[in-house]
Amino acid sequence: MNNFLTLFFTRCSRWCGAATLVIGGSCVSFLSVAQEIPIYAPPPAIPAAEVKLPTIVLMSMGGTIASRGDTRLNVNNYGGKDYPRVNPEDWIKDLPDLKSIANVIIEDQRAPQDRVASETFEDFARVAKRLNELAKDDKVAGIVVTHGTNTMAETAFYMNLTVSTKKPIVFVGSQRPWTALSGDGPRNLYDAIRVAASKDAWNKGVLHCMNQVINTARDVSKTSAYRLDTFEGVDVGALGYADPDQVKFYREPLRRHTAKSEFAGTDFQTLPKVEVAYAYRDAPAYIIDAMVANGVKGIVIDGTGAGSLTTGQTEAIKRAQEKGVIVVATARTHGGRVQDTPRRREAKVVPGDNLMPEKARILLQLALTKTSDMKEVARIFNEY
Amino acid sequence: MSRTLLYVTSMTLFLSLFSGALVTAAELPNVKLFTTGGTIQSKGAHRQKLMEYSDGRVSPEELLSDLPELNAIAKISYIEESNIGSGSMSTKILLKLAKDINEWLAKPEAAGAVVTHGTGTLEETAYFLNLTIKSNKPVVVVGAMRPYTAVSRDGPFNLLNAVRVAASSDARGFGVMIMLNDEINAARDTTKGNTYRVDTFVARDMGPLGYADADRIVFYRKPIYRHTLKSEFDVSKLTDLPRVDVTYGYQESDGTAINAFVAAGAKGMVLTDNNEEAIKQGQKKGVVFVKSDRKGSGRVVESEKQAGMGIVTSDNLNPHKARILLRLALTKTTDPKEIQRIFNEY
Repeated sequence: MNNFLTLFFTRCSRWCGAATLVIGGSCVSFLSVAQEIPIYAPPPAIPAAEVKLPTIVLMSMGGTIASRGDTRLNVNNYGGKDYPRVNPEDWIKDLPDLKSIANVIIEDQRAPQDRVASETFEDFARVAKRLNELAKDDKVAGIVVTHGTNTMAETAFYMNLTVSTKKPIVFVGSQRPWTALSGDGPRNLYDAIRVAASKDAWNKGVLHCMNQVINTARDVSKTSAYRLDTFEGVDVGALGYADPDQVKFYREPLRRHTAKSEFAGTDFQTLPKVEVAYAYRDAPAYIIDAMVANGVKGIVIDGTGAGSLTTGQTEAIKRAQEKGVIVVATARTHGGRVQDTPRRREAKVVPGDNLMPEKARILLQLALTKTSDMKEVARIFNEY
Repeated sequence: MSRTLLYVTSMTLFLSLFSGALVTAAELPNVKLFTTGGTIQSKGAHRQKLMEYSDGRVSPEELLSDLPELNAIAKISYIEESNIGSGSMSTKILLKLAKDINEWLAKPEAAGAVVTHGTGTLEETAYFLNLTIKSNKPVVVVGAMRPYTAVSRDGPFNLLNAVRVAASSDARGFGVMIMLNDEINAARDTTKGNTYRVDTFVARDMGPLGYADADRIVFYRKPIYRHTLKSEFDVSKLTDLPRVDVTYGYQESDGTAINAFVAAGAKGMVLTDNNEEAIKQGQKKGVVFVKSDRKGSGRVVESEKQAGMGIVTSDNLNPHKARILLRLALTKTTDPKEIQRIFNEY
């Protein structure tokens, strides 16, 4: 009976998580769920005194992985201002297994929950600066950054270009909130820390690990709104896998990144304004004109096929170029390169290689901090 | 009028390209074509025939005369190794092919090699070469999904791209590559994934290394496992390879196939099933067993249980590629631990 009660209390507190009071054997909480992590057989902890574990900084930029829902079946209407967020220390408490693979140091870099704009450049600047600091710290073996999945590929790509390091920086998130049934967050977090602790993960630029797949920040993209295998390395696939037996790499990326990036180590406070114009049948000119009127320095056109525009858009682009705006073309096929052709050269449009438009935007913003010469921008798009 | 003008313009363009090629021919890279046959060298009864095309073979001379554009890219020579479908590929031809390519690439003037091959077992030959070629110069294996005689045949562009990659000094150090459908794929990771589509070759777990796009050849990835120059396998003095067979696992598959292959003299077996009794009997006769998987994606992870039984795991090699590696491993050792090391590294 005593054992049964203990088990009941343990499970109850597990289920109810941090925001829970256990009074007289019943859970009292305005939130009734927390991550359901089986308690039956946690892996044996390696005594820290016997093994020198690598020090991994676990940095929270929030995201679904740091969100709660009201029931464990809530996988599409969670988070926001209605529910308290999962604090970094809650992950450690829920997932003591992490202590057996790394000496985890938590760091909270979440934007204030009541901030109106959820994503701003201020986050990029603050986190890039901090990652550059951590990269220089000899005690730190690797860094894991949690992030909401919608724009995490953009943040990861920005860090890939601006953080000067050879150490692993691994972005991770989840598709289901921390409180969800069959939540993917705990395993993703565990694997991301394994990757960050892996010697083989050095010199590969900023990485992304979810669903046990290790991708590069440059090539990874979210491809499904809700599936757990949403992230794919567009065109060129993954670098490796966080498998049950080991973290295994098969590829190294060849495009410039991190320590070899000409943008790395600079503390950018603002970036030139660059917007994305999408091409479709009858896409109008006035949106591009409006971008120019609002002072953009660059425009990424996410063109049809291999980067084509409507006639109206083409005319608007000419007007923009007359005002010094640099134009980069990506392909809305979101697979395959925009090629370097005589016509495109004549039109003074820089091929965006196979970058997604939102990533071409970031690279163009950084390129424009260095040059406004089209040939130099084209070189940058060929190298990164 | 405009038609004549167009003709004159295009002829001028062609001639200027061609004469340009003549002028620079001495400086063009030297690429040797090693032809083995396959759909890319097959003729059908009519141009809509995309299957059962066995109405004639295309010689290397015909293949090259069909593509004068190659002369602007490289100085081409060739060796006809065979002219067969890939189902007829033999160990004897494979060994000679590896020796011939090694001999060619050892020459200072050689830039690269292109191998034509039937697509059915192309990935096996490509992986074999990836393990036995002693050079960092590009070796590109190429094929076609549609015969030489078909409308919208893919062979000529594939061959053109293969020569472009083989002629490129940027393509060194990637191991043996497979070229179809503009995609540069790694021999180790790529498999034929569709019976008839032209985008059949896929590296399911990893994706391609890069592309042969019309404006340029572009690489995004480099393989980091051992291959070519860093491979420990030397077939220069071999006349045969140990026999290795493959069994397929399915509901109620029993040890019949394993027992039969062992009786036929197999020195190694690649399994996608698990019949412990048959494995134990085979091991008593010195047969080495490698566990692969029929899913075609993902690693067979190392486990204490398999290691305890002396069974080697194949990483993410598919069964027919695990067979190639096991054949080569058995030229060095029969120790399962050493063979596991080999499977972890290649």
